[in-house]
Amino acid sequence: MIDPPTAARPPRVPGAQTTGRQVVVFADAADEPVDWSAAGISDVADSRDFASGRVPAQAMRDAGATVFARLGIAVVAAGPDQVAALRGARRPVLSVSPELVHHVLPEDPSAYVRGYRDGVADLAARLAGAPVPGEEPPLPPPFEDTAAATWGIQAVQATTSPFTGQGIRVAVLDTGLDLQHPDFAGRTVTAESFVTGVDSAQDGHGHGTHCTGTACGPRVPPAGPRYGVASDAEVFVGKVLSDEGSGDDGGILAGIDWAVANGCAVISMSLGADVAEAHPPYSAAGRRALEQGSLIVAAAGNNADRENGEFGFVGAPANSVEILAVGALDPRLTTAWFSARSLPVPGGEVDVAAPGVDVLSTWPMPDRYNTISGTSMATPHVAGLAALWAEATGRRGFELWATLTQAGRRLTEPSVDVGSGLVLAPQEGAGTVSGRSRRA
Amino acid sequence: MVSPLARFSVTVDDGHLSELDSVASALRDSGMEVERVLGTLGVITGQAPADARPSLLAVPGVTSVDEQLRVQLPPPDASVQ
Repeated sequence: MIDPPTAARPPRVPGAQTTGRQVVVFADAADEPVDWSAAGISDVADSRDFASGRVPAQAMRDAGATVFARLGIAVVAAGPDQVAALRGARRPVLSVSPELVHHVLPEDPSAYVRGYRDGVADLAARLAGAPVPGEEPPLPPPFEDTAAATWGIQAVQATTSPFTGQGIRVAVLDTGLDLQHPDFAGRTVTAESFVTGVDSAQDGHGHGTHCTGTACGPRVPPAGPRYGVASDAEVFVGKVLSDEGSGDDGGILAGIDWAVANGCAVISMSLGADVAEAHPPYSAAGRRALEQGSLIVAAAGNNADRENGEFGFVGAPANSVEILAVGALDPRLTTAWFSARSLPVPGGEVDVAAPGVDVLSTWPMPDRYNTISGTSMATPHVAGLAALWAEATGRRGFELWATLTQAGRRLTEPSVDVGSGLVLAPQEGAGTVSGRSRRA
Repeated sequence: MVSPLARFSVTVDDGHLSELDSVASALRDSGMEVERVLGTLGVITGQAPADARPSLLAVPGVTSVDEQLRVQLPPPDASVQ
């Protein structure tokens, strides 16, 4: 299981040296003056008073307080007894922490020797057939679907997120949606077909309805567990694949163009072709979408067969530099057997991973629900999570991309398979400086 | 002998994004049957004889001419999609 984000902060390493000074972080970096005299501090050095904004080291040593105006941070020569007065300063103070002494990390001449010893020990153990110490930690229990939520929704911590994608437009470009599906009754759905000769975005395949459900399904479905991430997002359904599941660039690019023009912050594309080279029109589309505030997430591909030693490769459009590629995880958070591995070329990386094995979501009526696997199922998890982060932080385009990778839970799986790891939902306080400092 | 028709995606450079329509008409003059002019992306899609690629690439503002890829999902009853 993943620890909730409210878990106790890790203990500071014992013996960390402090200087006796305090580091004060203000709630904002505004120009509001600080009444230092209230804390008995005089002789304030402000970075704005020095040429080129640089405070000389000597001035810093002598000053009662050194203010780094651009950062909203001050280093103050104050004992613990004065800390209370600093907290009471007129300008809101976020935190007061002892100034730490940092050292160059020590060189360890014995490291090489120890590495050699460990290597020999490892080889000996392998030859003897014994398990290598430390190589295989006990597996955590796998996630499981419960009556309340699918395993994937639990794994990405959508269940504990206060964010719902409210005010965010999410486009799902796929085989369409079952427009009469009861789980989407009452939702704002804008649907358009880009398939030649097909007027309605009604889904006659199922794939698009499944992906739309994962990205945008309701917080409390009328029947069964929760399976959707961004329950209040505004849904844009672009049918770019026929009911037979096929489509070409013309319709797909038209769908991207429509989604960007409609201000969709996130565009989910659980589709791809098994070509190992980036396709220039998708690279251009991805870049221009990012520039206009739309992030495209795409399935890495299912062309691996890992049990038989085939690792596959990230196909188009996911292998464009400007498009976020999503790999699939199973309930143990290990790489799904079919999930494609990174290509060794720019853009060919798997950027992040998400639940993609035994994923329950919506299916055209009368089936209502279906449980299937694929990087296609992982992708809309990430699209929904991107909508939550867009709502929480206001970030768009590449900033939103960076936020998703930064917020990913690192996994012990190879980065060529899972990139930055499992994308997680923003929790209470995410997106604000105060929230960050609580979690840090 | 007439070359068979192929489906192309034509990518337009940053300098010609505001003149997509004139790029599209130049592509028509070079034998392309333009289907869509995608204004927010700077991409033009359509059909042209397969051997027309070099002349399409020669149109000012065009950075890339690529035969369209085709996507095919597995059937609805497949366990991996």
